[in-house]
Amino acid sequence: MVSEKSHLGNQQEPVQEEPKTYLLSMTARRGPRSLPPIPSTSRTGFAEFSMRGRMREKLQAARSKAESALLQEMPTPRPRRLRSPSKKELETEFGTEPGKKVESTQQEIDSQSHSRVKFRDSARKIKPKPQVPPGFPSAEEAYNFFTFNFDPEPEDSEKKTKASHREGTNQEEEEGEEEEPPAQGGGKETDEEELLNGDDAEDFLLGLDHMVDDFIAVRPADYESIHDRLQMEREMLFIPSRQAVPTYKKLPENVQPRFLEDEGLYTGVRPEVSRTNQNIMENRLLVQDPERRWFGDDGRILALPNPIKPFPSRPPVETQELSIKGELETMYKKAVKYVHSSQHMIRSGDPPGNFQLDIDISGLLFTHHPCFSREHVLAAKLAQLYDQYLARHQRNKAKFLTDKLQALRNAVQTGLDSEKPHQSPDTIQKTINDYKSEIRQTRKLRDAEQEKDRTLLKTIIKVWKEMKSLREFQRFTNTPLKLVLRKEKVDQKADEEAYEAEIQVEISELLEEHTEEYAQKMEEYRTSLQQWKAWRKAQKAKKKKRKQAAEEHPYDETEEPYPEEDLVKPIPPEPTDRAVIEQEVRERATQSRRRPGEPMLVPELSLAGSITPNNQCPRAEVLRREDVKKRSLYLKVLFNNKEVSRTVTRPLGADFRVHFGQIFNLQIVNWPESLALQVYETIGHSGPTLLAEVFLPIPETTVFTGRAPIEEMEFSSNQHVTLDHEGVGSGVPFSFEADGSNQLILMTSGKVSHSVAWAIGENGIPLIPPLSQQNIGFRSALKRADAISSIGTSGLTDMKKLAKWAAESKLDPNDPNNAPLMQLISVATSGESYVPDFFRLEQLQQEFNFVSDQELNRSKRFRLLLLRSQEVPEFRNYKQIPVYDREIMEKVFQDYEKRLRDRNVIETKEHIDTHRAIVAKYLQQVRESVINRFLIAKQYFLLADMIVEEEVPNISILGLSLFKLAEQKRPLRPRRKGRKKVTAQNLSDGDIKLLVNIVRAYDIPVRKPAVSKFQQPSRSSRMFSEKHAASPSTHSPNHNADYPLGQVLVRPFVEVSFQRTVCHTTTAEGPNPSWNEELELPFRAPNGDYSTASLQSVKDVVFINIFDEVLHDVLEDDRERGSGIHTRIERHWLGCVKIPFSTIYFQARIDGTFKIDIPPVLLGYSKERNMILERGFDSVRNLSEGSYITLFITIEPQLVPGESVQEKFESQEDEKLLQASEKFQAECAFKFPNRQCLTTVIDINGKTVFITRYLKPLNPPEELLSVYPNNLQATAELVARYVSLIPFLPDTVSFAGICDLWSTSDQFLDLLAGDEEEHAVLLCNYFLSLGKKAWLVMGNAIPEGPTAYVLTWEQGHYLIWNPCSGHFYGQFDTFCPLKNVGCLIGPDNIWFNIQRYDSPLRINFDVTKPKLWKSFFSRSLPYPGLSSVQPEELIYQRSDKAAAAELQDRLEKILKEKIMDWRPRHLTRWNRYCTSTLRHFLPLLEKSQGDDVEDDHRAELLKQLGDYRFSGFPLHMPYSEVKPLIDAVYSTGVHNIDVPNVEFALAVYIHPYPKNVLSVWIYVASLIRNR
Amino acid sequence: MAEVHVIGQIMGASGFSESSLFCKWGIHTGAAWKLLSGVREGQTQVDTPQIGEMAYWSHPIDLHFATKGLQGWPRLHFQVWSQDSFGRCQLAGYGFCHVPSSPGTHQLACPTWRPLGSWQEQLARAFVGGGPQLLHGDTIYSGADRYRLHTAAGGTVHLEISLLLRHFDRYGVEC
Repeated sequence: MVSEKSHLGNQQEPVQEEPKTYLLSMTARRGPRSLPPIPSTSRTGFAEFSMRGRMREKLQAARSKAESALLQEMPTPRPRRLRSPSKKELETEFGTEPGKKVESTQQEIDSQSHSRVKFRDSARKIKPKPQVPPGFPSAEEAYNFFTFNFDPEPEDSEKKTKASHREGTNQEEEEGEEEEPPAQGGGKETDEEELLNGDDAEDFLLGLDHMVDDFIAVRPADYESIHDRLQMEREMLFIPSRQAVPTYKKLPENVQPRFLEDEGLYTGVRPEVSRTNQNIMENRLLVQDPERRWFGDDGRILALPNPIKPFPSRPPVETQELSIKGELETMYKKAVKYVHSSQHMIRSGDPPGNFQLDIDISGLLFTHHPCFSREHVLAAKLAQLYDQYLARHQRNKAKFLTDKLQALRNAVQTGLDSEKPHQSPDTIQKTINDYKSEIRQTRKLRDAEQEKDRTLLKTIIKVWKEMKSLREFQRFTNTPLKLVLRKEKVDQKADEEAYEAEIQVEISELLEEHTEEYAQKMEEYRTSLQQWKAWRKAQKAKKKKRKQAAEEHPYDETEEPYPEEDLVKPIPPEPTDRAVIEQEVRERATQSRRRPGEPMLVPELSLAGSITPNNQCPRAEVLRREDVKKRSLYLKVLFNNKEVSRTVTRPLGADFRVHFGQIFNLQIVNWPESLALQVYETIGHSGPTLLAEVFLPIPETTVFTGRAPIEEMEFSSNQHVTLDHEGVGSGVPFSFEADGSNQLILMTSGKVSHSVAWAIGENGIPLIPPLSQQNIGFRSALKRADAISSIGTSGLTDMKKLAKWAAESKLDPNDPNNAPLMQLISVATSGESYVPDFFRLEQLQQEFNFVSDQELNRSKRFRLLLLRSQEVPEFRNYKQIPVYDREIMEKVFQDYEKRLRDRNVIETKEHIDTHRAIVAKYLQQVRESVINRFLIAKQYFLLADMIVEEEVPNISILGLSLFKLAEQKRPLRPRRKGRKKVTAQNLSDGDIKLLVNIVRAYDIPVRKPAVSKFQQPSRSSRMFSEKHAASPSTHSPNHNADYPLGQVLVRPFVEVSFQRTVCHTTTAEGPNPSWNEELELPFRAPNGDYSTASLQSVKDVVFINIFDEVLHDVLEDDRERGSGIHTRIERHWLGCVKIPFSTIYFQARIDGTFKIDIPPVLLGYSKERNMILERGFDSVRNLSEGSYITLFITIEPQLVPGESVQEKFESQEDEKLLQASEKFQAECAFKFPNRQCLTTVIDINGKTVFITRYLKPLNPPEELLSVYPNNLQATAELVARYVSLIPFLPDTVSFAGICDLWSTSDQFLDLLAGDEEEHAVLLCNYFLSLGKKAWLVMGNAIPEGPTAYVLTWEQGHYLIWNPCSGHFYGQFDTFCPLKNVGCLIGPDNIWFNIQRYDSPLRINFDVTKPKLWKSFFSRSLPYPGLSSVQPEELIYQRSDKAAAAELQDRLEKILKEKIMDWRPRHLTRWNRYCTSTLRHFLPLLEKSQGDDVEDDHRAELLKQLGDYRFSGFPLHMPYSEVKPLIDAVYSTGVHNIDVPNVEFALAVYIHPYPKNVLSVWIYVASLIRNR
Repeated sequence: MAEVHVIGQIMGASGFSESSLFCKWGIHTGAAWKLLSGVREGQTQVDTPQIGEMAYWSHPIDLHFATKGLQGWPRLHFQVWSQDSFGRCQLAGYGFCHVPSSPGTHQLACPTWRPLGSWQEQLARAFVGGGPQLLHGDTIYSGADRYRLHTAAGGTVHLEISLLLRHFDRYGVEC
């Protein structure tokens, strides 16, 4: 407005700067218009009235002109113009309405009118003021004067009526306008006015300069004296005082303030109000509201608890600069190259960061040490007591309880005194009672505390005195400890008074209690008395009645029942005596309390004392001090049981303190499992000894570096130290008394002060592994299912801590601040830790659900689908699932549910033997846990796993193929071509075939002519040594003596059975047949699942049986012989070779010559030794016994065996050792990639263990040692046999494609199952304990592939033992299954074969030659003396003979049933006589280990079963389960005989060896009666 | 008890400035949904287009859900990554789309975005690669105060998804 108006002015009259400034200055001068004008000036104005009139005209014209201009421009002036008529109307009221406000606008000011107005105005203003200047006209007068003066002026009207009229209006207008008191006029308005006035004033400038003074009145500033103002204010206002109000004013008369908080009630936190404000408020309230309603019991203003929450309840509205927060946060990540590693990685995508744990070890303090002198012991005790005292002092519970007691008493008093009207007396009584019981409790507690305090003080003084006396006695001081007892004077009188008052109060309270009790008892007494009386009365009446009755019916007397017992007359309680109580109270007070007037003793322990220097001490003490000086300490930091760092070695101080002050930053990847410190002490130059181990708690995730408090962790050691000087030693008794009584035994103990905290990274992010990582690791893999439980445990321990803390810190349970805490504690301590681990996101889910959860879960289709996708074995291979639930049978799930149910139930049906059942379960569990662990690792594929890339032919390949063109079409010695490998994914039934190529066999047993009954064959008692020499055959070939058809010695054929499919070759002739036939057997994977994992776990075995085809002439009539042939073909089982499928699968092909497993007794057959015919060959072959078969087995198409995962396992081995072993292995693999080299293996817990730790002499069972006490070799054989009797279970079957786990020998014996390694380790350990030189041989053998054998050094030659079969071979045995040797492992070293050849035939086993054998531990890396993982000693339980016998019977029954099952179309007869004979015979076989009983046996059988043609053989197996036994019996094909009158005999014998190792013999035979 | 089969493929991506792309995908459902078979998440191979600018993955998606309610209808979320010539991977875009609700075959195009970051980060991204990533992957489909997130548009992920619904009519849902 202002600017516009000034603008308008400019428009109207463009003036130069100069005049304007002038104008402004003029207005400034005219500014104080409000001042009352001086009347004289107004009078002078009158003289120029006519002139003014002219001037007004001019102004008017200018004004109208300006107005019209204004109107065009802006609307503001319009309302004024419109209003002018209305102002005319107001004319009459002009005088009466002086306060009326009219717009103040620009108006050409008539100076006179202006002054007039001013005058009137000021007059009006002055009016309230008493001091009007004398002679000044009153407002009325002035008004009248002006108004009257106006009308009668003739000249004015004469001159120009119109003008006068206009002037009148103008004047009125102006007057009206000027009504507004300009004194208070807002600056703005005056500005406007002034500016416009300035404009107007231009007219003045024309010639009215000299008149300026006339228009201006100078007046002093309007001022009201401050005193007046204050006076006035004082009258009108009330200002409350700032002084604090005394409490009595605020409370009703005679009421003591009562502090609820002191009484233990929660009062809440009052809002923060400054003290002054409170005082002001209180003062005001006191005046305003005399009823004191606003004051509480404690004399303070009533207030609700502070309503301000400590945290914002509404999300903060953030400003732009803080914008991105929380989940919207983005983080700049560098472009990362993903490293493909086979390492086990966390699946969460983020690479595991490095986390840091800071361990601050500040120092160590011994509370006892062997070098402690007696004084030290006392000093330690004193220090401990003093610490206790300080702690108690700080807590000052006695004081607290006393205060509480006081407060409670006060509360009772107030409660009794001022009974509030609105409370019912009942409630008051109740609260008072509550208070009283509280008082009682508190008093008891207080007394106890006080007593404790006092005894503690006494003990401190006592110990100090002892110490002083000791110092005096020994005449030197060892410790700087000094106890000063400061006496605090107390006001004797006041003290006594307080003491007495306290006692009085207590007495009165006790008295009251007692009276109460008395009253209660009295009441009881009365009631019981009444009862008693009534009863007596009744009794009397009854008696009377009875008497009468007795008189009437003397016989009934006995039948009278006694309805009640006799009531004893109650004894009235005794009233209590005041004196007695007083006595009691006083007694207690003297005991537990300071006596009145007795000064308060404050002990102060200082280290100000001086220690006697060495030269003044006796020799023993000097020795002690020197010993202390020699000692130094360091701490090892163990993380997950592995040493990660150690502190520097610091000498032990004379005060038995060690300061370390070191901080260790542990960079870790996983969640720590354990954290420990080991305290090591070194004395002089001797090696460090482990004093103690201190386990540190792993900090909670909220503990960060810088905030973690230093904590003291106590440790103690159980070492016994006796010293020859003053030191008291540790763990040995000593005494302070001269006579040696009162002995003490102290153990070395101390405290480590440390703090453990999580570090904080650069950007403030704490370096804490995520919780999900806490359960990584093998052991945790077992707990994978319940990860919450593992987290929960740490939370729970913490909870206890929390509860303890809450109890200690006296938390107010009513405090709403503590409410969640209290609830948590109550939940935790009550044991029902149900904390819902969910929150609801989709609130309306329930309402909109189609079906309930139960129904969804009931759906069989969904369940089936889910189970199938989870690859549950039963459902894994379901191809199609019915669309409707109704089509799914309930029984589909039965098996599965049963399995789930039985998971923990050990069933003995399958296993017969309970122990083996347990073991099977255990294996199952281990397997599951291991598989779980590897599931993750297996998901990482390499490129090669996914892509099979054909090599692009390059020039060299082309060149080779060109050469091939020139090759022979049919080479004389064709090579097998490599075949394409097939991944197992897209296979189905019938796709896989097992190809068995049977090439030839050597040395098949030949038929022996039936020896006459009486001919005793000479039994050659062969000893061990003879076995290696060629055993001269005692049997001369006897052709076609018995066989009518002129058959050859033997007509063998081979039958291969696999998965109950049977194929056989044609029949060849002679003991060295050559078939060269290929047999094809289909392979079916279990459940039709052809995945790698499933194939690996196939347990089926390929049986290769060799039979002899015998033709029997059954022609009954000799006369027909010329015209017809009637023969029957019989087959006699000669032996078998068993090859597990898994071996074939992993080896891809098996090619070699195998020893045929021929039963020890093969009736009717003998080994043919045709020296004449095959002399040349024989010399080599007869080195070893037995028959051999050459086979080639493979799978068509070739399957890719699962790669075993190269895993890094956690290990407890020394890091250096692990590195060395890695290096060693790498070097070996570089030189001879095909040779097996093993340095570390994985134990059953999934930890890497150095291999030599497995080898250690272990005692074989006593039972075996005592058999051949003098024959070491025989014992060795026996032991080998024992080991071989432990069932074989390949790891690859149990841990499909995962890894090879090595169990220790005791685990192996407990499990009673293991593969080659376990057998070999056990055998090697036995041999070591027998005093042999023995090594573990890692190499390749057929058919096992990579395997472990045992090598022993006998006098002059080496023997190679197959631990699984118990057989042994000479080094130069061609038929030794071990084909190449990778490395040898002894108990203290590993030797890698670096010879040119690796066949045992061609290598030198002398490991001392470094050119032939590269040893792991050498001069550069000496053997560190690794402790063994094996147990100290193997403990063998004697096997239960009865259980074995029972098992034997059951087995026999089962097998008989099976044979009958296999012969569904024939009748199976059992020859009991024969069976019993066989049963007798089997123990003999066991005793002789199946050797050389044939002839005896045969003779015996002949003797007994003369009339029968007998064919049968004993089978010998280790016992693991029933199924292999059944399979073995089945594979012999005994049941296949379908001669009508055949009879069978079956006997089972189980020989128990220690540790439940069972040797099973099964004798099956078929008998045909000779006619 | 209604069932939903989601069968289809992630065809590829177009419109990205980077060339070698791969995609991590996942499917997110509400609590009422139960996965009967199939895998919820996966990752495609890296495709370097030789002709044209569209990267083709043709990555199969095959899921079978059972549901007891309509809430939490499955939604797919993607992270498109690019691999540079050094074999380093960096984020190229986040995307999200619902699985269609009508049966049949659908061609979907899921536009993507990536967080912009501060100017320093943009500069670093332009020169040394890498880039801001969401700390919490579920921000892709969860609704927080997203206006604070400044993003730049990425390309589009193309999907071809076939849907089989079963038994929805039984519960009054027409489809």
